[in-house]
Amino acid sequence: MTAAFFAVVLAVDLLAVVCQAYCQPIARFGGATVLMFPVILAYGSLALPFAGTLALAFCTGLLWDALTIQILQPGVYLQQLPVEEARLGWSIVLFGLLAVLTHGLRPLFLRGRWDLHCIASGVCTVVILAAQYTMLTFVRGGLILPRDLAARVFLPGFFAMVLSPFVYLGFYVVASLLNYPVRLEEDRRRGQPERL
Amino acid sequence: MSRVSIIALVAFLALAVLVLTMHTHSAQRLQARALQLVRPLHTTTSGLGQSLGALGNGLKSLEETENENKILVVENQKLRARNQMLDDLEADNNSLRQALDFKKRSQFNLLPARIIARSSTAWWSNVQIDRGEQDGLDSDMPVVTDIGLVGKTTTVAANTAYVLLVTDENCKVAAYVEGTKEKGIVNGERSSVNVQPNLNLSYLSKSASLQPGQKVFSSGVSGGVFPYNLLLGTVKEFQVRALDAHAVVVPAVDVSKLENVFVVLPERGKGGGGERRTGGDASRNVPTAPAASTPSTRR
Repeated sequence: MTAAFFAVVLAVDLLAVVCQAYCQPIARFGGATVLMFPVILAYGSLALPFAGTLALAFCTGLLWDALTIQILQPGVYLQQLPVEEARLGWSIVLFGLLAVLTHGLRPLFLRGRWDLHCIASGVCTVVILAAQYTMLTFVRGGLILPRDLAARVFLPGFFAMVLSPFVYLGFYVVASLLNYPVRLEEDRRRGQPERL
Repeated sequence: MSRVSIIALVAFLALAVLVLTMHTHSAQRLQARALQLVRPLHTTTSGLGQSLGALGNGLKSLEETENENKILVVENQKLRARNQMLDDLEADNNSLRQALDFKKRSQFNLLPARIIARSSTAWWSNVQIDRGEQDGLDSDMPVVTDIGLVGKTTTVAANTAYVLLVTDENCKVAAYVEGTKEKGIVNGERSSVNVQPNLNLSYLSKSASLQPGQKVFSSGVSGGVFPYNLLLGTVKEFQVRALDAHAVVVPAVDVSKLENVFVVLPERGKGGGGERRTGGDASRNVPTAPAASTPSTRR
């Protein structure tokens, strides 16, 4: 059942990365974007075993980088190699780190603390965006702190926290259908049969 | 920690190092494959969106459509006539250039392309188009509209490509300001409140004196990516700094509303992309290069 649930979480997560192209920055909110995949990544990190968490972080990071990293031709020197703005794969490390840290909260999550997913979603989103901007500043040089930077980093975190209960509910239904024990200890406490 | 967890951690780290140490060409190939992989989804979704949009726009009366058609037919005839005239003028111009031992004025091959996806991040500014290697695209090809410069291609897959927009900080274009001898570098902003960000025109001389409303064109550096005389935008603000002068430019093309673009393919039999045409007059005010030359489109 774990494999089936992992497959569902991974598929939804990768679909969220691909469909991110249709979530454009919202001008009314200072150009903030709704990022869906950190919410799913946070959920996967809390609900899946350690190996599944790492696999999810690896696949998400690889696809995210493959679809977003800018690889530019040098232009000036004809024989020079193309230039990556950031190494393809740096998001794997970032997402892996976030996933492992979030996974540390799994025992509490299994006791039915769904609010942890909400907090983890917000924190992951903010850290991902802040890390991207820091990397961008480091590579391009010149510390520029535009007015809308806070909105672009923190508002998506807020959006993620608002969206997380719906994602949690959706996966809870899937977990129930697949007999995957997401709320094992909570069910045990209530005297309900364990779903294994 | 269980044995499975340790093996998973070691495998994760090993794979992460493998990807991080990948050669840039391999990384670009991987990106091209990923783009190719998601293309069907993007094409379908984009097509669906356009169909829905068209459905909303399509609710016009028959009379309105008929009137619109009449106007378009007349406009089409006018443009055909003008195009024919420009063809003749170009032929004359080229023969005169040849007589004066100037380089022949190049023709652009414009390949129409549709935008199928937009940048999904908060910081980068690029779009995905439905044309790729199979259509003759390569990295660093200029992308334009009938109004002006849009950007350049970066990663190119078999049937799709990324276009780095002129509003991205990484897209740098050598430019000149109309009616002056001022030259500088235009690039986008790192982050902007506006969905339609402004451009920065830097490295102008300290003695420059620009007025709002002056047009900015690409100056087409020899061996560079962008051809000469593509409209970039109009000057909005101008200020003299400690070492140089700087202007804020409003882009000519609204990149947030783009749907269709043209990729400038190199002239047949030539490898290079943009090159300043010898003998060109930098003070001429031609709105866009495609309008100044004869575009030959193929679909």
